[in-house]
Parts: sequence; C-alpha cells; structure tokens
Amino acid sequence: MIAMARDAEQARRRDRRAERATERAGPEPQAGDRDDDIVFELREVSVRLGQVEALSGVDLVVRSGERVAIIGPSGAGKTTLISLLNGTTAATRGEVRALGCPYGRASARHIRATQRRIGTIHQRFDVVAQLRTVHNVNAGRLGAWPFWKAALSLLLPRDVPRVREALAQVGIRDKLHERTGDLSGGEQQRVAIARVLVQQPEAILADEPVASLDPTRGLEIMKLLLDISAESETALLASLHDVDMALDKFERVVGLRDGRIVFDKRRENLHDDEVRALYAIEQPPGSA
Amino acid sequence: MTVSLRALDGVEETSAPAPAGRSGGSRRSRQRWLWALAAVAVTGASLVAAGVGERDVLRAEGIPAFVEFFRAAGAPRLDGEFLALTGTAALTTLAYAVLGTALSLVIGIVGGVLTSQTWWSLGRRARGKRGTVSWMLARTVLVVPRGIHEVVWGLIFLIVFGLDPIVAVLAIGIPFGAVTAKVFSELLDETARQPYSALLAGGASRSSAMIYGLLPPALSDLLSYGFYRFECAIRSAAVLGLVGAGGLGFQLSLSFQSLHYDEIWTLLYALIALSVAADFWSSRVRARRSARADGTQRTGRGADPVLVGSGVLGLALIVLSVWWIGLDLAVLWSGETWEHTRRLLGDAWPPSLAGDGLSGLVWLSAVTLAISILAMVIGFCGAALFAFPAANLPRGSYHTRRHVLSRAARLVLFAASRLVLVVLRAIPPPVWALLFLFVLYPGILPGALALGVYTVGVLGRLMAESAENLDVRPLRALRAHGASAAQVFCYGVVPAATPRFAAYGLYRWEVTIRETVVVGVVGAGGLGYALAQQLSGFDYGAALTTLATLILLTLAVDFISAAVRRTVR
Repeated sequence: MIAMARDAEQARRRDRRAERATERAGPEPQAGDRDDDIVFELREVSVRLGQVEALSGVDLVVRSGERVAIIGPSGAGKTTLISLLNGTTAATRGEVRALGCPYGRASARHIRATQRRIGTIHQRFDVVAQLRTVHNVNAGRLGAWPFWKAALSLLLPRDVPRVREALAQVGIRDKLHERTGDLSGGEQQRVAIARVLVQQPEAILADEPVASLDPTRGLEIMKLLLDISAESETALLASLHDVDMALDKFERVVGLRDGRIVFDKRRENLHDDEVRALYAIEQPPGSA
Repeated sequence: MTVSLRALDGVEETSAPAPAGRSGGSRRSRQRWLWALAAVAVTGASLVAAGVGERDVLRAEGIPAFVEFFRAAGAPRLDGEFLALTGTAALTTLAYAVLGTALSLVIGIVGGVLTSQTWWSLGRRARGKRGTVSWMLARTVLVVPRGIHEVVWGLIFLIVFGLDPIVAVLAIGIPFGAVTAKVFSELLDETARQPYSALLAGGASRSSAMIYGLLPPALSDLLSYGFYRFECAIRSAAVLGLVGAGGLGFQLSLSFQSLHYDEIWTLLYALIALSVAADFWSSRVRARRSARADGTQRTGRGADPVLVGSGVLGLALIVLSVWWIGLDLAVLWSGETWEHTRRLLGDAWPPSLAGDGLSGLVWLSAVTLAISILAMVIGFCGAALFAFPAANLPRGSYHTRRHVLSRAARLVLFAASRLVLVVLRAIPPPVWALLFLFVLYPGILPGALALGVYTVGVLGRLMAESAENLDVRPLRALRAHGASAAQVFCYGVVPAATPRFAAYGLYRWEVTIRETVVVGVVGAGGLGYALAQQLSGFDYGAALTTLATLILLTLAVDFISAAVRRTVR
C-alpha cells in the first residue's frame, strides 16, 4: 500500500515538474549543453528547518562559467539555497550535486574534497577580526594544508607571495600585516574575496556579498567578483538584495519567494512586472 | 570577577526552562517555600550535630592565644633575616602559582576544545548522534579532576613524587585545568560560529578551522580568565604549602607550630601583598579587554601595550619560575615515580572501608555536609550584612542630597567594610581553621567558622558587585513616588538583590563543600581530616573510598544547588 502511494506521489511530482518547466521556459540551452560542465544541480530539493519549510521543490542547474543572481524578498530562502550548495545544510528531500558530488550520499572525505573546490563569500564577511590579514587569506588554503602547516603558518606565515598576489588582485596590496578587524567593511570583504582567490575554486557562491556595504563600495566589490568569474571562467552564484544590480550585471536571474523558484530566466527575457510581483506584499485574505 | 559571574550565568542558562503560566508560578513559589523550610531544617540539624548547647565547645584557655594572635598583627617580625626568608618563600609560592596556571591553561585549551559543542556538532544529521555521545564522554572525563580539591591532589602527588616542586604545579594545574576547560568550552560555544563554519564550508579540517576561525576570537577571553585563575592560584599555592609543598604556606605551618605570631603576620602580609598585586594586575588586564570588546577599541590600531606587556611578562615569569623552583620534568617518567604510582594504585584497589565501617563513613559525610552548611549560613548572613555598605551604589539616582556629615559617615562605613572583606578573604581558610582551633574543640564548629569567615570575604565582594549593577530605574520610580531612602531600600533594593544573592550563595556552597577538605586537613574534622589521616597512614584503600564519597557528595551538592537555583531565579 505504502509503496503504491509513494509511486503515485512521485508520479504526481514528476507531472508538476514538467508543468513548471513548460511554464517558465527556463534558461535557453547553451552551446555546450552537456552534463560534464554542470557545476550545481538541484533536483526537487526541499529543506525543512525546524517547523519552517525553507525551500520546497527547487530545481536548478548551473553550468561552469555562468553568472547567476538570486533575488527575492527576505526569508525567501536565498541563504538556505547557498548553504545547500556548499554542503553546510542538508536537503530534507531531493538531491543536491555539486561538481558531481551528491552531498546526501557521499562520504565525509568526498564532501570535504568538493567543498575545497567551492569558494563562499558571506554578507557578514566571516573573516576573523583578531587575525592579521595574511592569516585570513591563507585560511582559504586550510583545506589543502595539513594541520601542522596551518598551525605553523600562524607563527610564520607561509606562501606569502601568493597571498600578496591575491591581495593585489583585490586592490589592498599594502594591508598584508594589518589586523583584519581594524580594516573597513569594504576592505574586510576584499580580504574575504582574496581568501576565495587563493583557494582557486571552480565555483564561487556569494551570499549577499555587498549587503553591508554602501552602494559605491558594493558596486566595486560586485565588479571585482564578476571580473574574477569572467577571467577564470568560474561559475558565480550570488544572492542579492539589490535588484537593480542583479538586473544590470548578471545574465541569468533566479527569483525566489517562499522557498520556491518563481522564475529562472535570462536577463533579456525578464519583464519588470515579474520582478515587481516577486516583491509584492501579499494581501491578507478577505481584504478587497 | 566578571568571568566567574558569566560562568555562573552559563550554568543557569543550561537549566531547564521555567514552567510558564500561572500554575507554574504558584508551584515555583511553593517550591521556594519548601526550599527555605529545608534550609532552616538542615541548619538546625547541623547545629545539633555540631553539639551547640549540648557539649562544651568553647576552650576558655585558648582565648588569650586567640587575642594575642590578633594583637601581633600590629607588630610583625621585620628583621632582615626573616624578611629574606619571607621573600624567598613568597617567590616560591608565586612560581607555583605561575606554573600551575600555565599548565591549567594548556589543559584548559585542549580540554575546552574537546568538550565544546561546536567541536562535536558537525551540522550533518547522520553524524549528530555520535558527536553528542563523544561530547558527553569528554565532559564526564573532566568531572573527576574538577571534583577533587587541589589539596587532595597535593596529598596524592606527595606520595607519588615525594617532596618535589612538581607536586604543587600538578596539584594546581590539574583541577584548575579542568575548571578552565569547562569555562573555555562555554566561551567557545558562545563565540560567533560564522568564521568557523565558513572555513569548514571551504573544506578545511576541523582542527585547522578551529585554530583559524574559533580560537583567535576566544583566546583573549580565555587569557583574561586565566589571569583571574592566577589570583586564585596564589591562594591555592599558599594553602598547598601548608600540606608540605613549600613556599609561604610551609613557613606559615612552621611558625604556627612554634607559635611565633609575629612571624605568622609577616608571612600573611606577604601573602596579602602578593594577592593584591595579582588582583590588581588581573583586573587591569580584564578592564582593558572589556574596554576593547565594548567597541571603544577604535582608540588605537594594532595591539594594546598593556595586553602585550602582560603577555610578555607572563612568559618571562614562566621561564623564571621554572628556574627558581628548579622544575625538572624528568621526575615524571623516572622509575621511582612509576614504582610509587604502581604501589599506590595496587594498594588502593580494591577500595576498602576504614575501621569504623559504613556507619563511620556516613557519619563523616554528614559532618562534612554540616560543616559546609553552617559555613554557608555564616558566610551568607555575614556577606549580606557587609554587601550593601561595601557596595558603591549608584548614587544620586535615588538618593536625595544629604548632609556632609552623613555622607562622610557613609564613606567611612564603605571603606571599613571593604577593608574587612579584603582581610577576611586574604587569610586562607586553613589558617582561619588553625586559629579557631585555639578557642574551639575540634569538630564541626571550627571548620564551619573558618570556611564561613572566609566565605564572608569572597561572597561579600560578589554581592557588593551585584548590588552595584542593580537596575536603578525601579528605584528612581519609587523615589519619585516619595518613598524615603529606607523604604526604597526595603521595597526596591532588597527584592531585586535577593534572588541574585541566593544564586551566588548556592554557587558558593558548591565551592565550600570542596573546601571542607582544606580545613579538614589541618584537623577541623570531616572527610578531609579522615582522608589526610588515611593517606599519611598508608591506608590507600580506605583513602580511595573516602575520596569517592567526597566526589559523590560534591556532585550531590552541585545537583541540589542547581535545582534550588532554578526555583529562586
């Protein structure tokens, strides 16, 4: 009985998925539309955090070199989506694959090896204020270093030329030995980006990377991320509060609301109405 | 003191949530009445056990000696020879405290990481259960070293190593390390986890992510706690001297035996000077640190000279201490040590009962409990009495302008009560116990008085600090309604302070039951006295039983105290 019910449920879900696919006429097939350049793949993923369904039935495919913006009102599930992709949150249902690694089934070693190839940048920078910049940048290589090297580096910084190069790339060459907490917000975010740079990732995830910066600094940081992504053909997936920035700078935009993907389109096919509807405040039931 | 207060708050937070709603409230107030009744009952029982009103407790012939002792306070022995001896002894005590604290920090960091929830929580559900089990296991391992007082550790290590400086270092380092580990694990769990999880998300291993993401922010808190422990370590090092480990305590015991009160006071003044210096240093460091943490740190870039200087001085002190006491770690793995350890463990297992059997053990436990309860009653009442005069209450907020004379009187009262509190807690409990043994027959009372008087000093300062931190807004509102200062005190200050005082008192009770050993060792009775006797009589099997009973007793007190704290909160 139970098996039959489950089959029926699966069939229903398949139908729904097909419907949704036709509805939204997702991203156009690209030149190299093969499976081996898929960076992230989500199939029917739901995440339940306590009593809240943070994401429900999300399908998403991101290919290498793509630059994707995720927009949506607060609480739409943007942060959960990002943490799903770097393997820090587990899916309650469905499958998440990053760089071919199925997080739900893979061994801890395999997951760590995959996480090493994905760089993440956070809204709150998440750099360690008490450490000097050089250590915060080197923290990007912890996955590749054995413990003794990591510990030694705190006393005698290792691989300084590489750190210097990364800092030069993000435009704060002279801050190598400063205490990170003494830097300004924009500079701290640059340190976080430099940390991702030395990690040499195959995909970059950015969770509201500019939300705590003023518009001008934010734009600079965003340009920096886009340049890095373009130069190294790295996939970039960023959640953004700033809709205009998303529409201006990204070729693909995903709209998220109440844990569901509302649209997933190339920029040129996206209407202003759709964006407005995404952020519309829901009328309470019963009011005219 | 801030760190220990936070640790106390942490203990409270982990307790079960209070039952909500009206019925829960009335149940809690009923429970509170029951606890109060129970407190009165056990106090009465303890007094009966102490023989008050039944037996002759006072030794009239000892009173002149008691008076003479305090008269000698004004005339300590100050000739060059004895001062040199005092200085040497003080340096030895300082060296023990420094090295013991250093060892406790090492144990605290490693143990703290291993007992933090952050270390074991891996985020993924599949491994969650295993993490919880490992966490519980690590916590349990640390309970035993924490439950054994440093004096008991000292007695045990004296058997293993003989008269070696390592005895004091290990005896301080191990129990302090276990406490530090507990506090540090709580610090780690309170530290913002985002940088750590960000590194884990980048594929870093747990240990690497820990030293980059979590230790640096928590380390300064830990060091400031280490400085606070250093204050305590100086007192412990002196007390350890009394059981034979050398330093000020050893000289104190020699002078006590020869009844040279002037020498005792010279040594006590040295100890007080040492504690006050450590107190000053540690409070300077902690004030600097909290100023930085409050966001006023933008005053200067880079490192703080006081903090860096303290760190350098600390390292220098460690090196000098090793040289001064001639610490030789080779004794740890020498054949003789192994032989002694083997014999000690072989004799101790299986544990046995002392001559008077199980009933004797139960009686000793009851005596120990009675000592701790009476000590707490004395300590709590005395501290509550001294706390308000000794507190620098937020003035002007609800006091009206008063006459110059009354303000001067208030100031004198303030200074006098502070001074009394300082003296009470500067004299270590075993010295108090030796003093009370002049005028009282051995038994429950001298131990209880010694611990009680010392507790007044410690608890009084804690209570004064908490009275200073009371919320002044309700007091100002009462004042605005036209209440007099006395009425504000009764209706505003006392109700607000009572639950906090009760919580501190209960917390202190947990410390006091452990300290009963200290006064027991010098002859005041209870399990501590029995333990010292059994150890010096090579009856290790019985000593193990006594020790296990003592640990169970402390755990029981911890449990009761936590339960009562939940209802008074």
